[in-house]
Amino acid sequence: MMWKSIVYKEWLKIRWFFVGYTLLGILGIGYLFLTVKHSFAFNGGKNTWNIVLFLGHQFFSPLKYVPLAGGLTIAIAQYFPETVNKRIKLTFHLPLGENKILLMMHAFGSISLLLSFLIFFGLFTGFSLIYFPVQMVADSLISIFPWFLAGFSAYFLVALIVLEPAWKFRLFYSLVGGFFLTIYYTSAVTAAYGPANTGLFVLTAFLSIALLFSAHRFRKGEM
Amino acid sequence: MEKISRYLLVFIAILTLAVILPKLYWMAFEKPVRKPFILYSCINDDFMIHRISEKTWEDTKGNPYTREEYEQKLPMMFLKQLLSSGTMPDSIKGIALDMRDITGAKSFFRLKVNEIDAPAPALYPLFESQSGRAMLDLPDDFFRITWRIDFIDAATNKVLEEKSQMFSGALYQKGFSFPAKKISGLATPRKSIDEGYLIMDSKDQLFHLKMIKGFPYVKKIDVPEDLKFRHISCVDFKNKDFYAYLFSDKNEIYILTQDDYKLIKWPIDGFEASNCDLKIWGDLFNYTVIIEAEDHIKTIALSPDYQVVNTYTENWKLKEEQTEGKIFASLFPAQVSMTSDNSKFIRFYFSLSKRLNWIFFNLLLFAIHFIWLYRRKAKFRNHLADLGMVAVCGIFGFIAIHFFQNKFFE
Repeated sequence: MMWKSIVYKEWLKIRWFFVGYTLLGILGIGYLFLTVKHSFAFNGGKNTWNIVLFLGHQFFSPLKYVPLAGGLTIAIAQYFPETVNKRIKLTFHLPLGENKILLMMHAFGSISLLLSFLIFFGLFTGFSLIYFPVQMVADSLISIFPWFLAGFSAYFLVALIVLEPAWKFRLFYSLVGGFFLTIYYTSAVTAAYGPANTGLFVLTAFLSIALLFSAHRFRKGEM
Repeated sequence: MEKISRYLLVFIAILTLAVILPKLYWMAFEKPVRKPFILYSCINDDFMIHRISEKTWEDTKGNPYTREEYEQKLPMMFLKQLLSSGTMPDSIKGIALDMRDITGAKSFFRLKVNEIDAPAPALYPLFESQSGRAMLDLPDDFFRITWRIDFIDAATNKVLEEKSQMFSGALYQKGFSFPAKKISGLATPRKSIDEGYLIMDSKDQLFHLKMIKGFPYVKKIDVPEDLKFRHISCVDFKNKDFYAYLFSDKNEIYILTQDDYKLIKWPIDGFEASNCDLKIWGDLFNYTVIIEAEDHIKTIALSPDYQVVNTYTENWKLKEEQTEGKIFASLFPAQVSMTSDNSKFIRFYFSLSKRLNWIFFNLLLFAIHFIWLYRRKAKFRNHLADLGMVAVCGIFGFIAIHFFQNKFFE
């Protein structure tokens, strides 16, 4: 039963941020495809395809930082309140393993983020298939995939940084985290990330338990 | 779990530092290599070298020239300048110069190394080759080759069934084995005429496909059995001597002659498609083939019938061999880059430093960490992995383990 209470507590913290972010993201995708529709109407389908295929136009580029914004929003909404007056200490007094509780909270945040991202990914794919053949859509998905991974990484990294008790180390983690995120954003031609995406997925998965490290330091009272 | 999470963080920090620190280092200290501009002179049968940064002009024997003298040695290249200054000769080597002949024979081709290892476009436009119009129009539909060839209308995003069946049938009848491995053509209306596409099928057979009056034209090209092409670049030169430059997997350069589809191998040595840029200047008297590698430039002059008439090579130091490169190798054991000059793909490009000077710096950092642990009276057996990471990963490992500290045993 305990997990239900934890999920409810986490939901209370992030609900408006989650709903607001998801709605904004959906609006963003709506805007993206308005630009595509506009391009089809004014330049014609063949010219739109031509600039996407041969002139390096990336119609999906407005999406670039949308997942990153989501990761930051959910992480701050979920973990920042825990650091006010060190409220997370209360959580650590619950009759459950401390790591288990943290991972439950983290899984809840990750699944919420995943839900938003799946909605965006699905809408993007669906709308794209109206205007472009499946091969062009597949190439676009290869390019946007690392941006979604960056969203998850940002979520995991912010959790790590917010829970870290010492300001000096918060700065160190932010430096590494900030530079690490740039790996997902190397500017490249469409579909260039194909060979890197699996590796980036694994690295993102590695980061998913990063918060256990700073939470451990928090419990130990590192300063 | 906490220990695992720390090691994963240390790993990510090492990777990030191995990407960022070398990148910042080279941004600060890399010196550009100013490659000379070299062309073959039909006047003095020697290569003329323009060193752009030094503003000097010379031949291969080191004889200096003024800019005007240099340009007069290359009348095919600096035609307009010589005409305006009245120094254009009437004939060269007994051949009277005709403007139409000169411009008709002029050609320039460039292949950057990263164009070969790059994502291929998903679809291509097939132009009407004999529209009767002076300018080419971008077609309304684009094609892809999967288990057959599909033409898709861009306005509706729907497959044009009749056209797709007609072209698929024509390819199938000529023995095309679906799908295609490589599709090469000039996918732009900004060309003099359309010659369609050269397409390599799944069995490495080569086909020429174009559309004439709405109908397919398919020609299977005879290719020797042991010859496989790694890359094909179609060209649109005024003289219409050949359709394309073709690059074999053995780094040979071929041309495919227009209309009679003969593959002619050029006598070019020293080209490596995986790490060389290629430039080919053609004119009435010669082709100058310029191979630019990381540490040298090789130029080969060919006669109009593609025989070698002269070669010239110039070397320079790799950046690893320059002072900055030596300092780099003293600091960093390796570098990871997400991009490469030789590819358009994003990968984790890992390169070990070519010298081993970094070992000393690694040992120094190892000693510093060792003393740091000693002063804190830490048990060394709890820190063996960290010490190992400093020894192997050097500065990257040192920073990573101090950012994500091992305090599980205190």
